[in-house]
Amino acid sequence: MQGWVTLALLLSLGVKRSLAQNGLGEPRGLTLNPDLPAQTLSLAWQSDSTLFDLEIFHTEFMNVVLNATVEVQADPVTGLHSWTWHSPLPLECTSHSVRIRARNQQSVSQWSPLQTIPGWDIPEKSYMFPEDKMIPVGSNMTFCCIVNEKEDFKEIKYGRQEMKATRLSRRSYAITVTNQPASDNTGTNVICSSQKFQMLTGTVVFVGYPPGDEGLVCETRDLASAECSWKKGRDTHLRIKQSLTNYTLNGRDCLEANERKTWCSSKMWEENWTLEARNPLGTVQLTDSAQLTDRVHLLAPVNVAAVKVEAWSATLQWSWSVAAYKKLEMVCQLRLFAHELSSTRNYDGPGLSSVVLEGLWPDVDYTVTLRCGSKHSFWKWGDESAPYRIHTKMDRPDALDVWMWMDSSNTGHVFWKPLSVRKSHGALNGYEVSQSSAEEDGRNTVSLPPGNFSYPILLNNSSDVTVAVAARNPAGLSQPSTVTTPAYRADSQLSVSELLGTNGSFVLSWEPNVSASSGYVVEWFPTGCTGLCPIDWKKLPESDRSFTVNSVYTTTACSLCAPLLISDSLVAGVRYTVSVYSLYTSAPTLLQRWQGYSQEMIPSQSVSELSLNQTGSDVLLSWKATEMKQQRGFIRGYTIYLASAAHLDLIANITDPAVQSYRVKGLTLSSYKFVVKAYTSAGEDAGATVAIKMEMDTADMLFVGILVPLGIMFCCIILFSIFFYKKREWVKKAFYPEIPGPKVSGDWSSPRGPLDVKPSPHSLVHIVKNPEWDFTKEGLFPVPEEEEESENDNMEVDTDSDEPALLRYYNQVVGDGSHSNQVSDSSASSTASMGSTQTEITYAGIQSPSSSQGAYSGGGYRPQMQSVTGPAEPQIEFEADFQDDGLNAGYKPQCSWQLDSPEAENFSGSLGSPTSVTSSQFLIPESSEEKPQPSNTWFHNFLSGKS
Amino acid sequence: MAGRGTNGRHGSRGHAGRTAALARLLHKECIQLLELYRNSESLPSSPVDGGYLVSIPPLVPQLSDAEKISILHAALKECLRLLEDVITREDAEFSDEDSEYKRKWKTVRDRLGHLLASTEQLLVEGQKFEAKVKEELDGQAVSGSFRLKMWIVRVLQDLVHWTGQTSDTLRSLPAEVEKAPKTMSRRTRRGAEKIRK
Repeated sequence: MQGWVTLALLLSLGVKRSLAQNGLGEPRGLTLNPDLPAQTLSLAWQSDSTLFDLEIFHTEFMNVVLNATVEVQADPVTGLHSWTWHSPLPLECTSHSVRIRARNQQSVSQWSPLQTIPGWDIPEKSYMFPEDKMIPVGSNMTFCCIVNEKEDFKEIKYGRQEMKATRLSRRSYAITVTNQPASDNTGTNVICSSQKFQMLTGTVVFVGYPPGDEGLVCETRDLASAECSWKKGRDTHLRIKQSLTNYTLNGRDCLEANERKTWCSSKMWEENWTLEARNPLGTVQLTDSAQLTDRVHLLAPVNVAAVKVEAWSATLQWSWSVAAYKKLEMVCQLRLFAHELSSTRNYDGPGLSSVVLEGLWPDVDYTVTLRCGSKHSFWKWGDESAPYRIHTKMDRPDALDVWMWMDSSNTGHVFWKPLSVRKSHGALNGYEVSQSSAEEDGRNTVSLPPGNFSYPILLNNSSDVTVAVAARNPAGLSQPSTVTTPAYRADSQLSVSELLGTNGSFVLSWEPNVSASSGYVVEWFPTGCTGLCPIDWKKLPESDRSFTVNSVYTTTACSLCAPLLISDSLVAGVRYTVSVYSLYTSAPTLLQRWQGYSQEMIPSQSVSELSLNQTGSDVLLSWKATEMKQQRGFIRGYTIYLASAAHLDLIANITDPAVQSYRVKGLTLSSYKFVVKAYTSAGEDAGATVAIKMEMDTADMLFVGILVPLGIMFCCIILFSIFFYKKREWVKKAFYPEIPGPKVSGDWSSPRGPLDVKPSPHSLVHIVKNPEWDFTKEGLFPVPEEEEESENDNMEVDTDSDEPALLRYYNQVVGDGSHSNQVSDSSASSTASMGSTQTEITYAGIQSPSSSQGAYSGGGYRPQMQSVTGPAEPQIEFEADFQDDGLNAGYKPQCSWQLDSPEAENFSGSLGSPTSVTSSQFLIPESSEEKPQPSNTWFHNFLSGKS
Repeated sequence: MAGRGTNGRHGSRGHAGRTAALARLLHKECIQLLELYRNSESLPSSPVDGGYLVSIPPLVPQLSDAEKISILHAALKECLRLLEDVITREDAEFSDEDSEYKRKWKTVRDRLGHLLASTEQLLVEGQKFEAKVKEELDGQAVSGSFRLKMWIVRVLQDLVHWTGQTSDTLRSLPAEVEKAPKTMSRRTRRGAEKIRK
């Protein structure tokens, strides 16, 4: 055991010996000197070495905050080594400990004993550091919060922003804020809160900028002292009083300067000036250098007054508040303000204190202001005087611009233009118009009130009249302006040229006239105007050969212009008559006249009286042009459109405006709508519309409506006739077959001569007159003898017979009085007849079943009815028959062929035997070839080839 | 509606009613002023620790209304002094920039002066109470802008508190107090004291 202890001692002694052998002694006397506001720690020690290792700890947790090797030379006087460390953390935040050792390459001495400066986390209170620090924008800074013993740390807020804190010691916490923005007015609050209190403690940091002032300029106002001013630069954001910018001018405090006032004065002028602006964050220096005479800034003139005011001039006086100005060579600027008459004038002289204002206008209110400056080495205009008002006196008006316009050979108006303010020289009282002629002595003078700008002229004879017009104001009468009546020339007497407007104006030029010794007058007015027209004119010197009438040409600058008399401008779409007169001693002579539009527009109205006239398939459109007022441009032609539902189809463009009709040819029968538009160079008008429905004319209608169908009908008849003629045999066979004669067995030949057939008494048909029977009622009716005779003139009739009428009535009504059935149905009457005991003829079983098929029903006589059809059918049948046969319709006993008439049957039957008068058809078989043949119709004859 | 009721009460209670209304108005304005300051300085809304700066004898129920008013009058007087001190210190520390907060400062100061003048007429002659200020800004160990700001907050908190107290006390004042302002005869006052005893 003793051996081990001995070994350890020997080793220890060996190490010490080796260090001593290196010659590196331990630094001695380490002292720490903290500068809390500056956050610096100054170290001082004694040592023979120059290279040292340094270590700085946060004492409580022994966190190393600095471990560096520094070379520090000893102070030759004191022999102390000094080194200063800038702490990122306020030194109050926690205790700091320092140790140091000497180093020589790899050899080091022993560490010096730890030296500690205590932090503020030892007393039992809450603190926050640093306090009221002022730093530039963008800086980084570490804040620490020391909580008192019984509090639990919660958080640290920088403004409203919660920051992440690190623990420095048991009671100390720190945050580091980087790139800090500029503070508000009273700095940025950094607040430390505990679990118990939201505001345990806190501090304020002021983040801002150093001064940013610039542009120092010094000048003198009184030719002795100096006033220096500069521009305020960037806002420092430092509002705390101790951080406000301080200024010094050439080393002297400039107390009047502050954040708002950026000027400083000096009692004496110095040629070089230096302004220093300083705040806790920095300093800026501004310099200026100038001679006093180069920087004269005069004060404003005082006591400005007009001592003599005339119509055209005034004398202005003023004084100076600085006596030294009286010898200064100065220039003064006088500014005159008046309605439309503002001007600026400069005057110069030594110590200028009065000027004569020339070139003023009479009866005008002027406001005068004055400012002056040094004439030599002019620096800037001095302060301006207070405005001073001058009203000039009145003067006689200027001569009027007069013109005479004749609207007929002996009537006209003299016009004059209103005088402007510049020319009236005072409010006008009125006008005096005097009229004289060569044939009459003396002058007639008329006074007119100021609102008049024309006067009518009446020429009683052929001599020229000269009119003089003068304006009057309180100062007197103007020079009279004379004008002689020009000769009246109607447009019709002249070759009036067409004048095209150019950009809303007329550009005129004319040939020079040798007689125009007094120049020319260009006159323009709306064409067609009479009486008090808006006449305008412009007098031109004799050298002029051209003139432009502008739409903005203003005759005068007056507010009293009568709109009826003086036109201020050319109106678009209005035709103007423009004339050029030459002036000389006598009456003006008309040189040239034009008519034109300054700017053409489309017509405001469409063509009038648009009409059309149809001629066959052509339509003639005709119209009349609109009135000149509505034309609003020269009519260049007309366009004609055919309007459809959706668009207009151009069918003609008439480029000659004199042509006011157009023929549209070859129209078919339909409805048409035509639109006619007049056009100017500006375009077409809206158009007038006319519509027509094409119809055939009378001749066509006659031809087409009557003759053509008639012709076709005749052609058909002829064709049918030819056809039937050619095929008459076939037709005859088809429709009128030969009726075979009765085949009689035995000798039924009768002797030659008349055969009197006396009907059996049983065959008599008793005619029962029915007084109620109406002719209009349907039914069978007796055939008059005359008719029968006339219709059957080829039939042999026994006129001598005593009972001639007995056979004239076939199946006549004798029945039960149901006339309708009887009339409508011949078979019915036959039935009635059958029922009658007085009828000897019995038909039953004779008529073939098909011959009377289908037509008859109902009661009464039905000799050949084989089938019973519906009750309605007979009625229909009858009606058809009735219509066909008309009044001639009679008994149709057994034949279904409609062409047969009872008489025909009768006669046919009687051809063979008079006894068969009742009917022959019932004897004929159903076969068509054996049907009875009518004997007396034209058709029958035709078919038979009889003529 | 509240305004109508208040006016009615004023009509019935005269000067005391008007004073109560003034105190209530001032109380509201003090609250607004405190809010404005906290907002402009980004300060938390919780009260600053340390209690009220102005201290007065406790307003025990045994005290008469007139005595209570006298005590509160003394507190308000100290508040006005602190407020003027705050304004002076603020003007000294920071540049004089116009703001709503600054305008409100002046309004509250003027109205507090009016309230003091108005409550003075309700005081009992001869009775004088003193209020004490526990902490003065100048006496604090550590100075600094943050300390000044905290002290301003405390002054404003005091203003809110004491104007509220005054408003409540004046509102609960019976009509008889109004009949016994400074013009009240000594006999009446003695009688009142006797009653209290």
